[in-house]
Amino acid sequence: MLEVPKSGVLVHDPNLCVGCGVCEIICSLYHESVLGPALARSYIVRHPFAAEYDHNVCRQCSSPGCYFACPLKEKAMRIDKATGARYIDESECTGCGICVDACPFDPPRIKINAEMNVAFKCDLCKGREGGPICVEYCPFQALRFVSKGGRR
Amino acid sequence: MRRVLSVSSFKIRVKGWEAIDTARSYGWVGKVLRVDLTDQTVNKVPTGDYRPEGFIGGMGLNAKIFWELGCPKVNAFDPGNPLIISAGPLTGTYGPFGRGEVCAISPQCYPDELFSYSGFGGMFPAEMKHAGYDGIVILGKAEKPVYLSIHDEDVEIKDANDLWGVETFEAQKALMTDEPGASVLVIGPAGENLSRIAVILNETKFAAGQGGFGGVMGSKNLKAIAVRGTGAVAVAKPDKVLELTRTVMEESKKGEVLRLFFRTPYTAPQETRDVFARKYFKKHYGCYGCPLQCHSIHYIPGIGLSGASCANWLWAPRFSIDPKEIWEANVLNQRLGINTFEGIIGLPFLLSLSYEAGILTRKEIEEDVGLPTPIWLGGTATNHEFLTALLHKIANGESPYTEGVARFAEYFGKKLVSGQKLVDLCNELYTARGYAFHHVDNLGSALHWATDTRDPIDSCHDYKNTLAPKERFQGAMEHFGLPLYDNYQIVDLSKTVYQGAERVTAWVQDNQCLKNSLPVCEFWSSIASFYNPPEMDLRIFESKLLSAVTGLDMDVDKLAKAGERIWNLRRAIMVKRENRTREDDTLNEPYFKKAITCLAGSAAGLVNGPIDKAEFEALKNRYYELRGWDVHTGWPTRAKLEELGLKDVADELTSIGKLR
Repeated sequence: MLEVPKSGVLVHDPNLCVGCGVCEIICSLYHESVLGPALARSYIVRHPFAAEYDHNVCRQCSSPGCYFACPLKEKAMRIDKATGARYIDESECTGCGICVDACPFDPPRIKINAEMNVAFKCDLCKGREGGPICVEYCPFQALRFVSKGGRR
Repeated sequence: MRRVLSVSSFKIRVKGWEAIDTARSYGWVGKVLRVDLTDQTVNKVPTGDYRPEGFIGGMGLNAKIFWELGCPKVNAFDPGNPLIISAGPLTGTYGPFGRGEVCAISPQCYPDELFSYSGFGGMFPAEMKHAGYDGIVILGKAEKPVYLSIHDEDVEIKDANDLWGVETFEAQKALMTDEPGASVLVIGPAGENLSRIAVILNETKFAAGQGGFGGVMGSKNLKAIAVRGTGAVAVAKPDKVLELTRTVMEESKKGEVLRLFFRTPYTAPQETRDVFARKYFKKHYGCYGCPLQCHSIHYIPGIGLSGASCANWLWAPRFSIDPKEIWEANVLNQRLGINTFEGIIGLPFLLSLSYEAGILTRKEIEEDVGLPTPIWLGGTATNHEFLTALLHKIANGESPYTEGVARFAEYFGKKLVSGQKLVDLCNELYTARGYAFHHVDNLGSALHWATDTRDPIDSCHDYKNTLAPKERFQGAMEHFGLPLYDNYQIVDLSKTVYQGAERVTAWVQDNQCLKNSLPVCEFWSSIASFYNPPEMDLRIFESKLLSAVTGLDMDVDKLAKAGERIWNLRRAIMVKRENRTREDDTLNEPYFKKAITCLAGSAAGLVNGPIDKAEFEALKNRYYELRGWDVHTGWPTRAKLEELGLKDVADELTSIGKLR
């Protein structure tokens, strides 16, 4: 198996999360220029009567099934040198969906934008000064960015 | 491709506007859902038909829809009463904008049922927009219990027989199991049983509370609305919106003080507050997309998990300082779907004050009123026993408890020997039109109460803060376009001069219309927090944000004009439907006779009145003149309506002989 460099990752603290949805809004605004969880890479499933909120986002696996499964590996599905993020180059992606099926999580952390016919996922805000925007905007510090060096 | 989440419906919605011109396709998502429960039909009307650029959303859009429906002269529980629920163009953006507005003919208004409004927060308004709807209009009445299921384009009226009689939390849990990811508006037993003080609830504590709109839903046999949306709100200038969100983020940090203040029962002794903070507090809680999260969630084993903020805490200190009793009052009220201001504040306050004043005896409360009396009513029942009896009587539709405080007083006013004194006391507690005091501590606020259809919630925030001493709020008044009002000494009515109060009232009323239409959260738009410094005034900041979101060129003056337009349309509805004239623009009589001290909450100790009647009538003259209305009738004039682009409204009022 190919050696894939380690990646940084977003870490969510369920004890601090209040389920406000700021991360979804700011993610979809920053990446897709709209407001809404459907086009957010990081999104929440709410259990309001228990005050518990699941946060779904790419775990940037050490052995990324999506990356290995991609028929256009290193073109459509790539590794960001700076953070190690497994990211999708939307100009190369054909929207075949194989990476979505390969994601070991349920719900999968990769979505298909059917209109554009591309897959999209968290790229840790590749190239953004200051790191992932959701971490910066989270009002309760429930999201944290752990760099590849800091990852166990 | 089993697990591929298709978002194709989203793109269709963003790009495929049919009947709406592109200038309106941002911010607003484009459709208003019209559901007729009688003939089981569903229609989708383009939001553009209601001129959202002029009426914004929320309260303004609802008023416009109600006007287009002809302002039906039906009773609140008649199938012809349209229940209108809207979000605004800013709903779904980052910031204190996650709210929606419910409007309908209100069963709580007293003595006459009036077209009124109630805002609510939570997840529902944004989710409704994600599903593609700026608003929902419910007409008619279903034959048997139903709920409305909305999943993007798919709208279905479904059977709710199994849910009828189920409390609000359990009903939502059941619906969220059937419809995963849905956000639900629900009524409890109180709404089903046509209580005039029933709420419409989202999650644990986001309620359209005042107005009794839960009963309107109940009268339609509509248990709930469950909405799921996989769309998004498109914005015209994403980069500009992103830039402005940074300002919101920075500003919102100022809100932390208030968030912490209302986290625990702020009216209770420190020990009680400490117990809540240490043992029961779980998390903060708030509307979708808002960094402020001003509510709090607590959990007490045996009582349950729920949310609370300002008014939810008011069982303390008058009735108890025991954390469990305070929490039970709140949770039981929410589970049954009862208005907090009535169920655990208004009715118990009236009983307790009547008992203290010797108007009601313990015997009368037990035998005639029919409640077990706790210690504070001279008896031995526990608060648990008292609350269970009272709140279930309200929820079960047992008259007169379920009718709200004003009608409760009227009922026993006739029945009891000392009945008239009970009515008099109620008229002190209830400032006008069947709504409880909520600070009427200056003349601007009093005039606002006199000219609205319910308690203007702004009366407890804007007046005090707008007119507060310069050193406290950096002279907000001048910055906000108000002429300097003497020496700011109008917070206490006893020091008040009447001159100029009309300007303050008109300003706050227009402000209120904008807040409830954009929407901007009332709590956080208080000048004490979010809108200080003055550059953050909503006409200045929100006009920028609204322009960036919608792509309209909405400057400060245009936005201010929209507020005035909405207030004038609301007045036209009052005039057309309710025969409103200047004689109706008044308060309950005691406010003109004596000084009345506010009893509850952070307003405790504020003194209202006495208001000089002749001076107040002169103030009304100046107010109508300032508004551009007819001084003799209090009706709007053609000149003013046409100036605001409401020629059709003027024509209609002329045709029914209500425009001079």
